[in-house]
Amino acid sequence: MRVALANIWNAFEQLWAHRFRSLLTVLGIVIAVTSTITVVGVVQGFTRYVSEFLQGLGTNAMWVWPERPGGEAGKRLGRITLDERDVAAIEDGCPALRRISPLVKPPDVLIQYGRDELRVPIEGASAPYHAIRNFRVDFGRSFSIVDVEERHHVCILGREVLRKLNLDEGVVGRTILLAGRRFDVIGVLEEKGSFFGNSQDNLVLIPYTMALKMYPALLRKIAMTAQATSEEAVPEARAQIVNLLRRRHRLDAYQPNDFNIVTQDEILAAFNRLSLVATAVLAGIVGVSLLVGGIGIMNVMLVSVTERTREIGLRKAVGARRRDILLQFLIEAVFLSLLGGMLGIGLGYALSAVASLHPQMVNVVIPWWAVALGFGISTCTGVVFGLVPAIKAALLNPIDALRHE
Amino acid sequence: MLAREASDEPTRRSAADGSAPVILLEGITKVYPMGEETVHALRGVDLTIRSNELAAIMGPSGSGKSTLMNIIGCLDVPTSGRYCLNGRDVARLSQSELARVRGRGIGFVFQTFELLARQSALRNVELPLIYSGASAFERRRRATESLARVGLADRMGHRPNQMSGGQRQRVAIARALVQRPALLLADEPTGNLDTQTGDEILGLFADLHRDGQTIVIVTHEPDVAARCRRVVRLRDGRVESDEENA
Repeated sequence: MRVALANIWNAFEQLWAHRFRSLLTVLGIVIAVTSTITVVGVVQGFTRYVSEFLQGLGTNAMWVWPERPGGEAGKRLGRITLDERDVAAIEDGCPALRRISPLVKPPDVLIQYGRDELRVPIEGASAPYHAIRNFRVDFGRSFSIVDVEERHHVCILGREVLRKLNLDEGVVGRTILLAGRRFDVIGVLEEKGSFFGNSQDNLVLIPYTMALKMYPALLRKIAMTAQATSEEAVPEARAQIVNLLRRRHRLDAYQPNDFNIVTQDEILAAFNRLSLVATAVLAGIVGVSLLVGGIGIMNVMLVSVTERTREIGLRKAVGARRRDILLQFLIEAVFLSLLGGMLGIGLGYALSAVASLHPQMVNVVIPWWAVALGFGISTCTGVVFGLVPAIKAALLNPIDALRHE
Repeated sequence: MLAREASDEPTRRSAADGSAPVILLEGITKVYPMGEETVHALRGVDLTIRSNELAAIMGPSGSGKSTLMNIIGCLDVPTSGRYCLNGRDVARLSQSELARVRGRGIGFVFQTFELLARQSALRNVELPLIYSGASAFERRRRATESLARVGLADRMGHRPNQMSGGQRQRVAIARALVQRPALLLADEPTGNLDTQTGDEILGLFADLHRDGQTIVIVTHEPDVAARCRRVVRLRDGRVESDEENA
């Protein structure tokens, strides 16, 4: 035990004696681990950010919109439509759905208040929209049934619109101009935040019936968003919508859907697959860089063994056994790569912190397993690539070693 | 550790009467391949070195002098023959056992000193104790003692490159003595030193010998051999002559 400790101490002394070289040697590992930590951190941060956004889109939500399917079969279909009667049929005929809101998406409109004016995205919806999208009115009120049925000129503004027009919540009850028509402002949406620089609060909501009145061309191009009764009911709800719409559109079994339906889970799953692939590809790159780092260590250790041949010979002459020499050189390699691992983890954190400073950057999340991975792989690299030089040193014949020039 | 030492001490003193053989070589041969041919470096060497002898092994290059020294130093094993070091047969030991014998039974002094350049004299002398597993305190104590023995008590913290050649060789001798080996084996110990310094080193060997240390010096310099009581001459792998100096 005491001998082993002394061998470890020897290794440290040697590394300290050649500290500049040691530092250069571990550079490969440092870079590999730094990039692992940073890249994993950024990918994880990005993943969390997008996941949160996707979850923010709604609860057990799904979207349906008319769309001509691709390919020959799509071309043979007649007119692609989705109208108010479809929406009403889904509302009545799908027990797995809790609520549903039509979505009418006209082009951006000009909004005017006093002398200020700007173009904003506008959406036509009904009251359940807020519950499905988790996007509540936190000042004023939402659309009433009468507002929708009677096509009242009422609107709800997003916070970003308020900011751009230099307004505050006092605007509720006043009148603004939307595409030249007078609308009463009845509410203000809560702050939702931005997603990759796009503010989700840059939005004006009006009753969908009003939107259809302003843009009659959209009468047959209504989309909708719906919420299933529970998480488990999502696939059932989806199937009910698909069946009902196919029946209503008189599609035969061989014909594709003339609409598209996507659930929140599907988007999440697709995104998770993407993020997994990205992680795997990055892991491969990191693996290669670790290999390069390991070879760097092996190279320097081999040089070091050759350089210290006489010293090894002397150590053997004064009683060092093969395992003592092996241990000393192996510890040197392992310690070098561990040092590289630690430096890499430190640098990785630093780099992540620096990256987080950028306003457009997501919050970098460094998971514990990335740190463990950094330590683990650097140690393994040390053992694997330190073994060859250490064995070479241990097997040196003391006579030849002492005569080495 | 201390108990072992205490019992060690009287044995060595009592053996100083010159009767117990420290080295007993019988019919030692060494054959090794060199390219296509096999080289017969030693062709049957018989040699006995008793406790408290100061012997020189001489011979021209190619006489098998180095091979013999390697075998005596347990750096190499003979092809055939019997070698008892301090009463123990070491001819057939494993690598790791040989390392142990080298560490505890033999002190080496080399022509080129072979000190670790970046470490202090004290740390250099402690080296053999590291591999025998002595405690840090014990190492420090014995290394200090050993350095004092060779007259370097005031140079312990110096590194080899801050010392003269003679001082370096003294450090090397202190390192060789630190385990109180049965045999001090010196290979051309004055080869890298000027005459005066060489004389001082030989004087130190004489002092150690007077105190009961068994010493074998391998050399090709007649001046060095002349200061040893016994001279063994090798030629073509055999002992050519073995005589006592007057």
